[in-house]
Amino acid sequence: MTPILELSNVGFGYAERSVFEHISLTLVKGSCTALVGPNGVGKTTLLRVSTGALTPTSGRVLLHGESPATMPLKQRSRLVALVPHQLDIPFDFTVEQIVEQGRSPYLGLLRGMMEEDRRAVDRALNLADVSGLRFRIFNELSGGERQRVKIALGLAQDPKLLLLDEPTQNLDIGRQVELIDLLHYLRDEGITILASIHDLHLVHHNFSFVHLMGPDHSLTSGIPKDVLTPERIASAFNCALGRHPLLMETTSVHSSQGFQ
Amino acid sequence: METEVSKIAVTPMAAIPFGRRPWEDLPQKPRKRSRDRFNLLAIVVLLFSILIATILISVSIGAIHIPVGAMAAAVFERHPLSETQQTILLAIRLPRVLASALVGAALAIAGLMFQGLFRNPMADPYIIGASGGAAVGACIGIVLLAQWSIFGFSAAALLAFLGSVVTMAAVYSLARARGRTNGVTLLLAGFAVGTMLSNSTYLFEIFDPNPESGHRVVAAWLHGVISVPQWKQLALTSVLLAVGALSAYPLMRRLNTLALGDEYAHQLGIRVETTRILIILVGSLFTAIAVSLGGLISFAGLIVPHVARLLLGPDHIRLLPVTALAGAIFLVITDTIARTLFAPTELPVGILMAFLGGPFFLYLLRKNKREYTL
Repeated sequence: MTPILELSNVGFGYAERSVFEHISLTLVKGSCTALVGPNGVGKTTLLRVSTGALTPTSGRVLLHGESPATMPLKQRSRLVALVPHQLDIPFDFTVEQIVEQGRSPYLGLLRGMMEEDRRAVDRALNLADVSGLRFRIFNELSGGERQRVKIALGLAQDPKLLLLDEPTQNLDIGRQVELIDLLHYLRDEGITILASIHDLHLVHHNFSFVHLMGPDHSLTSGIPKDVLTPERIASAFNCALGRHPLLMETTSVHSSQGFQ
Repeated sequence: METEVSKIAVTPMAAIPFGRRPWEDLPQKPRKRSRDRFNLLAIVVLLFSILIATILISVSIGAIHIPVGAMAAAVFERHPLSETQQTILLAIRLPRVLASALVGAALAIAGLMFQGLFRNPMADPYIIGASGGAAVGACIGIVLLAQWSIFGFSAAALLAFLGSVVTMAAVYSLARARGRTNGVTLLLAGFAVGTMLSNSTYLFEIFDPNPESGHRVVAAWLHGVISVPQWKQLALTSVLLAVGALSAYPLMRRLNTLALGDEYAHQLGIRVETTRILIILVGSLFTAIAVSLGGLISFAGLIVPHVARLLLGPDHIRLLPVTALAGAIFLVITDTIARTLFAPTELPVGILMAFLGGPFFLYLLRKNKREYTL
């Protein structure tokens, strides 16, 4: 089966500075994968390269076996959605008006919003649990509410591959749990998920696979139990063992599993 | 404490009976939204009636008062007006008032499009320099190529369009750095380019080979005087405005999407560069229409879309017909005030508009202060 996303030996850099090099990863359909790594390691850039928003300086990106650069724009926009870290809106659009924009890939010059588009918008609003905010103005929402509206916008696009850039940011723990539940629900619906996550607690048990980007352009992939060992986390995040609950020998997620 | 942490971390999320599962009660039928459409239709009908009323009242006002009732009698009861009244009405006042309506509609739509394009509520064809470019183009046409015309369009009108397009492209590329448009840079670049261009029209006044024809016209460009057009010119411009508004319509949905930012719009299947070029072309068409009939009129394209957005929200599709009509009404009223305030001396409407728009612009600047801190 063709993987939905395949990066082989991908590198990206701006004129003077290389962000990452030699990254290879594959996402199979219906997987729920986490992308972790310290600040500035290029997680966001990797996600943008994966959607085709940025062109890699080396290597090859394939979305469903096709290069995003040559794939028709409409086809690509129905295949992949990236929920960005930040969304700046210049005017006072309501939540509903913003989420409706997610239907753009399905509209044409003369084809406006049809009933199925309205249904998709309603569904997206419900899934992200922002139906109650429908007529509120986006710029007046709290950080957590905006976060969920952005996810609704991504869902309205009805993508096969959903990339999320730090989706748990600004969410309290209750909303984080809801988000994880939502990601599992979407995975069960057949949507492939790749999310960059800062909260390593959430990665264990909730993601079937994790890619750890190290500051030395390394990429460690595997199931969370194997990848997120205290030693590896300590070296990737440049944080001494014992200085964080995750890095305690006795309380770390990995080793405490033995008690169960 | 530490054991608490480990407990939270260890328990699989799915095992915690917590959190709502909103997808379990997904509605089967989408909500109806017919009310919105009715509202829009009602607003458009209301504004259209107001426009007709303002035009009638404006036409009746002047040195010689012609009551609206007398006009109605002339049309419906074959009770003709005097010959002087007829001449004043059909050769001077009606063309002038209709021209001001066209100028107002064109400026308002151009303002709406440029504000959407630059994602900045302070853009306006005058402020970002498009009007200046159009004025220079029109001056070249009037002074140097007065005899030329292509398909019934004078060289002045065509060059006004060209001038506006070129200026917009220049300002746009000046304001854009690293794939982002900075609001302050945009306003500064537009101001610099626009001032340079609109003042350079003064050169045409000095070096005009046949001062009889050009002089008054050129002076009028700078101050924004709505000319009394020929009926033929009026008809041609109306057709252009209608064509422009129709071609602007599909761009409005894209402007809504562009509000999410270039990269997001691209992700949603919008060809960002093509869309931008189209918006600049259509916006320049409206600017050229406004400038060739009324010269440089500042701020109308700023105020009208802004107020409409406050009342109706930022959806460009809904704003298009509303700003067009509101702009027409606004300019018919201001032009009537301008020509009657110090009668028999006529005040250029551009000057009146500067006094209305300047304070409004400052109010916007203060309101948006947080965005412009250094």
